[in-house]
Amino acid sequence: MTIKKHFSLKWILGLLVIFIWFSAASGQSPDFKANIFQVGKLKPTDSVLKVKVGEQAPDFTLPAVKGGEVTLSQYRDKKNVVISFVPAAWTPVCSDQWPGYNISQEFFDQSDAILLGITVDNIPTLYAWTNQMCMGSGNLWFPVLSDFYPHGAVASKYGVLHSDGVSERSLFVIDKKGIIRYIDVHDINDRPRLEVLVGELQKLGK
Amino acid sequence: MNELYQAIEARKDLKGKIKLIGIGTGNSDFEVDFFRKKYEVPFPLFSDEDYAIHKSIGEVRTPYFIGVRLKGDGSAEVFYSKLGGFSNAKKFLELMVKSSGL
Repeated sequence: MTIKKHFSLKWILGLLVIFIWFSAASGQSPDFKANIFQVGKLKPTDSVLKVKVGEQAPDFTLPAVKGGEVTLSQYRDKKNVVISFVPAAWTPVCSDQWPGYNISQEFFDQSDAILLGITVDNIPTLYAWTNQMCMGSGNLWFPVLSDFYPHGAVASKYGVLHSDGVSERSLFVIDKKGIIRYIDVHDINDRPRLEVLVGELQKLGK
Repeated sequence: MNELYQAIEARKDLKGKIKLIGIGTGNSDFEVDFFRKKYEVPFPLFSDEDYAIHKSIGEVRTPYFIGVRLKGDGSAEVFYSKLGGFSNAKKFLELMVKSSGL
């Protein structure tokens, strides 16, 4: 839909106030945005996948920002799982991607899925980042896990560890039997579209 | 933003003379439509998935507001262009009215 088409011939005189925003980030504070490090254009992908659709997802246990540990296999026969690796805290695209998932929890619920957010950052960094990310719009509803030490071990197990030490911007959809049903190793510079992930979740059913 | 819309609609002298639109920069149609429904946004929202609009206005950070005066000869003039949201919709509306000379 174009703006011109929508408004042609409707107005003759008056004012137009244009509000430019990023939908998922609408509740973010100026302080949060001011602290995002601009990384510039990066090599789109820089790793070789070690898993395939149809295979059993490698199990792992990682510490969670909210305390304790999360093990992938704890969701076996209980929940579908979406793993979202993002490259690094305090960087531009990552700081938009998870807020987008945070306001669209219903799509995950409709497919009886949990989301696991993973970066190679340590817990204190993730704590500060996710706290400020959601200021004014509530906490993240999904666990955020630290793949910091041994550095990027889980990312490496899946084959999504960049040569510079960050993880790929990648999504893995895993069904209740622990089978990988969808993989998207995305251009690290670009945010995956929500509708694509929603479509993959809908294929799983409940 | 919904409060700003309601404040405009509630003023007989402004209703129909000030229109709001939102542009979701980097968002797809699906994402914008989801946002519109979830937050019951009463004014038109548009997606700018390829950042074309965002680039054309100088890749500003968001949220960003632009006030445009629409003239009778079909031309348009920017009277407000600023980064950042607002906490009081009625005060922001007054600022728009005053800045534009409406």
